[in-house]
Amino acid sequence: MVRIKQRYLLIHILYPCPTDPAAKISSKSQENALPDLVQFHRPSPDDLTPQLLVRTIRDQVLLLYGDYGLGLVSSSLIIKYLSTATSTAIIRCSRAHYRLVWAALSFMTQLPRMSKQEQPRDCAIQVVRVSGTIKKVEEEAIRRARVAILRAKREVGEESTNGLLGILVKDEEALQGGENMTAGSDVSDEQDEMGIDSDGDG
Amino acid sequence: MYYDLNVPYIANRGELQRTLAFLSERYNTIALDFAIIGKVPADTSNQIPTPLPFATPNSLRILRRCTIHLSDPSQNHRLKALSSAYDILAIRPDNEKSLQQACQALECDLISLDLSLRYPFYFKHQAMANALQRGVKFEISYGPGILNSDGGASRRHLISNATQLIRATRGRGIVISSEAKRALACRGPADVVNLAVLWGLGQDKGMEAVGNEARSVVVQAEMKRRSFRGVIDVVYGGEKSERVPENSAKGKQEKGKRKADVLEKNEAERVNATPKPISKREQKRQAKKARLDTGKNSQNSPKETSKGSVVLAEGAPTEDCPNGRSK
Repeated sequence: MVRIKQRYLLIHILYPCPTDPAAKISSKSQENALPDLVQFHRPSPDDLTPQLLVRTIRDQVLLLYGDYGLGLVSSSLIIKYLSTATSTAIIRCSRAHYRLVWAALSFMTQLPRMSKQEQPRDCAIQVVRVSGTIKKVEEEAIRRARVAILRAKREVGEESTNGLLGILVKDEEALQGGENMTAGSDVSDEQDEMGIDSDGDG
Repeated sequence: MYYDLNVPYIANRGELQRTLAFLSERYNTIALDFAIIGKVPADTSNQIPTPLPFATPNSLRILRRCTIHLSDPSQNHRLKALSSAYDILAIRPDNEKSLQQACQALECDLISLDLSLRYPFYFKHQAMANALQRGVKFEISYGPGILNSDGGASRRHLISNATQLIRATRGRGIVISSEAKRALACRGPADVVNLAVLWGLGQDKGMEAVGNEARSVVVQAEMKRRSFRGVIDVVYGGEKSERVPENSAKGKQEKGKRKADVLEKNEAERVNATPKPISKREQKRQAKKARLDTGKNSQNSPKETSKGSVVLAEGAPTEDCPNGRSK
């Protein structure tokens, strides 16, 4: 029997903007406390559910590719895993159209807001791994989390020696996903190489 | 190594710092861009302070780049003065004429069209090829399309212009950069490559656009500014370590010895030039020759063979010589 060919995308939801605009003025003190790495990889809001994420992606595909694109993509688009604590997700889509989904993810700049009064939640979605099997994607997610912990520990050690906060940050980071980009193609060897590089840098 | 050669230099320190920190996670080299719109000011010195007034990530190499918005081709832009002040000089033509001029004549490193605008003309392959031949690359800036502040128009124009540019250049000499005024508009190299693939660039060329092509822009610009006639450059090789003199003395001795050895060897070989063992083929040939010659004049043949063998013997040491020296 012929299998239906799938692609699994491991994504990180990054938050390049500070938590709230009011904090911008006092950002100096905040930045001293939290290294940039931890800020960018902060946990997602709790109301981000797989349903919401998939709806957001669909909206984006609809915006970019119209009904045709959504028709191609929607039948196979599923969120396999979503962790708000680490802002990591695994998305499954069909192999033929994974680039459409990926482009839609790249063009996303905001998470939908829950109420109208709320500030728009700016985010950047980064695809860190594309694979044909979910197993490799899971392994990559774990590996990246491990690297991120090490890096965050080092940064915390360097930048803020504040003990309690350091521990908090470490705990937070302990759940978080990785930090570096990869080639994002489905050539796994290439990606592994990049992964090693990133270890060396970090 | 990944390059992002267009990060606008903005006065907002916090935002710029954040952008740099965000980019540093995935890129190795970025270029801060200072835009000159309209007339080139009298003061052509570098407007971007070195070092930057805030802490920058250690892993990030920061270049300084200047973009001149070119609308009137007749104007004198003092490109020479500008190009010596900045690491990279880019030109942003506004209309077809200035694009043509930038492609054909102007001394710059990059042609950076503002792809979020609509151009009422086609990009011509001939002009583009001309620029590529001169080593000038084209830039695609995806930032405005991602932020999409004007309700889809800039994104649409970005896609249409990018596909046009890729068509006109046949995918050669394209550099992709962010032009991100906010950290939000930055994307990782892989995401950018994916977009490029959708715009018709191909995976490998897309990878090159954020890697090798961009690197060649940086290196070429460097060579233009520092080197002798753009060909020879003196590279700082680092301080000599302490053990170097010891080593070099040793090396010299060894080298000297070797040279002497080689010379002695050569001379010795030349003095007692023993004929090299002749190959069977040669033997047969000579035997045949001798047989033929014996019929005509029997005196010449032994001389010839001996001559042949001497030539061979002389040939052998000269072959050894380069080997000995190179070692």
